Amino acid sequence: MEKHRKPKNIFVEGPISPEKIAKSIANHSSKTDIGGHSIFLGQVRADEKEGGTVQAIVYTAYEDMALEKAFEIREAIFEKYPLTCMHIYHSLGEVKTGEICLFVFTSSKHRKAAIDACEELVERIKKELPIWGKELVDNEKEVWKENT
Amino acid sequence: MEMVTHRIKIRAFGMIAEKLGADCLDLDSIPTTEVLRGYLYQQFPELEKMKFGIAINKKLVSGNQPIPNEAEVALLPPFSGG
Repeated sequence: MEKHRKPKNIFVEGPISPEKIAKSIANHSSKTDIGGHSIFLGQVRADEKEGGTVQAIVYTAYEDMALEKAFEIREAIFEKYPLTCMHIYHSLGEVKTGEICLFVFTSSKHRKAAIDACEELVERIKKELPIWGKELVDNEKEVWKENT
Repeated sequence: MEMVTHRIKIRAFGMIAEKLGADCLDLDSIPTTEVLRGYLYQQFPELEKMKFGIAINKKLVSGNQPIPNEAEVALLPPFSGG
């Protein structure tokens, strides 16, 4: 039977806590057809910028469009890979260096689908979702990031 | 009595919002994305040097496109999520 999926909120206010990640892993213990999980965690890096070191990134998004686009990406990835589960979380607001700002989690019967899907998801999220990060540098300067 | 037949809502994000000094603008009589860019460059000359995409009703568009009445038009600088 075709599974019906609805757009889910992917946004989390502030950093994604390690507890949330642990709980998300634990939630899958009842799904015994899963043989492999793949997880990507994006962490805010203390880059050296002109005038100082990055202390935090403040994320903003065009939320409605980002959720529509995330749904479209999710559907395409489910279509392409035999996945059991897929979860995407992205921070909004301030995330300090060393904290987690992106959590992508895929599960499948065999590892390859989960690994490949996770990698493709991360690439598409960074390239296609209307989300912006502004780096806060220690002298109170602000620098807009740009994904390459 | 003034008749306004074509009205659009502009939403700006990231560094574009900073240059505009606002997240939202209501504009009249902007029928296409090319006219919109022309208007913005004239009002906010700094934008001409900046890279940004345009989404009409949450769909990214390219080239010159008509803007429907009551559309939500977003100005999107390069994405930097993740």
